[in-house]
Amino acid sequence: MNQKKTMRLFLNVLFVVLVTVCSFDNTVWAVDFLDDASYEEQAGAKKAYDPIEPLNRVVFTFNDKMFIWVLNPVATGYSKVLPADIRGCFRNFFYNLAEPVRSLNCLLQGRFRDSGLTLSRFLINTTCGVFGFADPASKEFSIAPVYATLGETLSVWGLGDGFYLVVPFLGPSTLRDFAGTVGDSLAVASYYPWSSDDVNSITLRGADSINTISLHLGEYEELKSLSFDPYVSFRDGYFQMRSKNREHLKPSK
Amino acid sequence: MRSTHVLTQCFFIVFITVISTIFLSSKAVFAAPDPTEQLRPFLQKVTDLLADPELKTFSKDEQSRRILIVVREHFDFTEMSKRVLGEQWRELSNKEQTNFEDLFTQLLQYAYIGKIDEYSGQKVEFLRQRIRGQRAEVQTQLVDKARSIPVSYIMLLRGDKWMAYDVVVEGVSLIRNYMEQFKEIQKKDGYTGLVKQIEEKIAQIEKDKKRT
Repeated sequence: MNQKKTMRLFLNVLFVVLVTVCSFDNTVWAVDFLDDASYEEQAGAKKAYDPIEPLNRVVFTFNDKMFIWVLNPVATGYSKVLPADIRGCFRNFFYNLAEPVRSLNCLLQGRFRDSGLTLSRFLINTTCGVFGFADPASKEFSIAPVYATLGETLSVWGLGDGFYLVVPFLGPSTLRDFAGTVGDSLAVASYYPWSSDDVNSITLRGADSINTISLHLGEYEELKSLSFDPYVSFRDGYFQMRSKNREHLKPSK
Repeated sequence: MRSTHVLTQCFFIVFITVISTIFLSSKAVFAAPDPTEQLRPFLQKVTDLLADPELKTFSKDEQSRRILIVVREHFDFTEMSKRVLGEQWRELSNKEQTNFEDLFTQLLQYAYIGKIDEYSGQKVEFLRQRIRGQRAEVQTQLVDKARSIPVSYIMLLRGDKWMAYDVVVEGVSLIRNYMEQFKEIQKKDGYTGLVKQIEEKIAQIEKDKKRT
């Protein structure tokens, strides 16, 4: 019990520290491919800020080995045991569990409509979708999933990225977004039915990752084999993908 | 007698072409062709070719050569090479530009077109398009068994043909991603170093292909 409390405290302190360390400059990574500027960005102008690149590269290599030697073989074996549609159901289940946190983040970002939509998704999928294993909200009610994270909320509030950070096991992130991820997982864990047991939470978190990897087998290796410097390629990919996910933040034309 | 007949025929064809070009280009000002309507039959053609069992009977090199011919109809490799190099492109001589274009095309050919075996009847769904001036973005979805992957084609109007110069998969632009990497390489080893690395990469892919 005591150990658990220290763990919680540690995570909370980590969260606060990460948030305070981030500087207050807010760059929105808006990209419009029809605009030539998106291809002509000059070095230094909007480049990914990566002051701890040597350290990041070490963690990147660690994650890479971890993936190749542990996660990928496990996920491959797992994918042979369970068919893709059942694994898809598990993905839905984990995704659905985090919907209330997403809804809250929308609220904090002032996206009231999205917040309501996410909450309705959660209610529909939890009831009609049998605890979230199916996704009738997208399929029958045409409510598309909404992207919202605490990292994004912090950015809306004016918190800068800090710097690019490769997190062990989790992969590409930035200081701010990693703080967001920590915050989001703490929030989800607080109402998990099995939240009373930290070991359970961690096991399930692991199961979620393995399940996700099993649905994307071969993609990592392929991306890696096509790139000249995987580290740079994944860093750029991370920022591009994130700006795509946060497109709704751009003022509508 | 016969030769004059052929000559008149030739003249007639040229005449028709000139007239229709003038007519079409003046018309294009008023109504640019629809990018989705051009991309749809083109992608159909590509997927048909990939699904064609006859294709598998050829050697690997012949397969990718055949696909490249079709792909070139709506992919502008010059524009891709130009964008991936950024400012550096303007500093190259014509010969260097052609050389780079060949290399980059070869890289894309090996990297992407080489993955023919992985095609298993995925369908392409068209979502929406945006047009701004001579540019267009056509958003599609590649529907697979367990999930669907958003793929956008960024195109440029050349004459009356929309030519793709970038492919954006799940929000990640292929050209921008290579651009970022090429920039780092050039910063360290210069343009010659970059060319050398691309050559090595192609050689390596070729070697891997032979092994499997």
